[in-house]
Amino acid sequence: MNPIDPKIHQALDGEIPRAALSAELRRDADLLERAAALLAAAPQEGSVAARVMAALERPLPPRRSRVVRWLLTPHAVVLRMRPVWSVALAAGVLLLAILPAPSGAPALGDEEGVAQFVARFPGARSVAVVGSFNDWRPGSIALEDPDHDGVWRGAVVLPAGAHEYMFVVDGERWVADPLAGRYVEDDFGRENSLLIVRPVAE
Amino acid sequence: MKAGLLFLWLAAPLAAQSARARLEGRVPAASIAAIDSLVQVAARESLPTEPLVQKAIEGGAKRVSGDRIIKAVQLNLDQLRAAKALLERAGDRAPVTHAEVLAVVAARKRGLADSIVERVVAALPDEPRGSALHAVADLVAHRFAGDSAADLILAAVHQGLRGVRLLDVSSAAIQETQRGRTRAEALALIARELPNVPPPPPPPRATVLHARRPAAAPPPDEP
Repeated sequence: MNPIDPKIHQALDGEIPRAALSAELRRDADLLERAAALLAAAPQEGSVAARVMAALERPLPPRRSRVVRWLLTPHAVVLRMRPVWSVALAAGVLLLAILPAPSGAPALGDEEGVAQFVARFPGARSVAVVGSFNDWRPGSIALEDPDHDGVWRGAVVLPAGAHEYMFVVDGERWVADPLAGRYVEDDFGRENSLLIVRPVAE
Repeated sequence: MKAGLLFLWLAAPLAAQSARARLEGRVPAASIAAIDSLVQVAARESLPTEPLVQKAIEGGAKRVSGDRIIKAVQLNLDQLRAAKALLERAGDRAPVTHAEVLAVVAARKRGLADSIVERVVAALPDEPRGSALHAVADLVAHRFAGDSAADLILAAVHQGLRGVRLLDVSSAAIQETQRGRTRAEALALIARELPNVPPPPPPPRATVLHARRPAAAPPPDEP
């Protein structure tokens, strides 16, 4: 802390005239006097109530900002539910898991299974599966290539057991399934693919 | 016995009649009479007739000539007779079921020697042999020795595996050879692990949901 010259005290208290001070002390006395005047002045802001009211009247941020802020702010979620409703809800969820597939899905019998056919025929316009399971009728089981990458796929519900089949490409070209892994002579000089369908109940 | 004979006397013409209707428009018209007579013969001999009708329809769909279709149907009739004879030779009492006849036909067409088929048939006197025969045929198709393949599958049967689970045994042995083991090593390894062979993963739920049914094919006939 810088000590204040006692002559400045005396001049500020009016004990000696300001003119009796040297020029340097007179300047310091003036600075001290202005500082005291600033401290003594009343605060410019209003009361606490006035400041609170001013904050309340401030315009709201845009709705989007408020929604974003609400979404990003953690909130406590309290779900009040009677125990009986909790049990009913749990039973409903369990039933949904146990019940058979929704309508549109095939209901499989114990002696049925699902055969998946996948074949690569780039540039083909159509690929069908024909075999003993559809009386060798081309077109009754058409494979699909929705993304046009040349890979044709299809899933078919068939009786469990062994089935002979072939692919028919573009309605005229008969081709054995290169991925079948099992083949038998077709007695017409070619080979049929052999598929063994596993029962779904196995 | 008399009732059985009466049933056969009535059933044979009925089977042939339904076969003729199914062949109309599916095979060359000139060949229908010959095919029909072969189907009648099969019915009279208590053999399955559906494979013969299917073979004829298959030939028609593949646009094979009528003569070749008749020859193929005759060949299939002979195969059915041979399979029935094999089953009876291996100890099955008459009438043998159509399912067993078809299982033996499939095994022989896949290249299994009669001695191997007879061995499997005799080892499973009171149960379906179809999957066991296919499992052995799978191994033989991958150049496993027939007797060794039959040994493994029959060992699996003795360990309690049945049906398509026997196909998992042959698949496991084949996979071991694809990993670099010799066939003898693969057979020994899988035999030691029996009955613990992994089943294949089930089809994805999405696949099952999108599966379609083909137009209903007529059910195979059964005595």
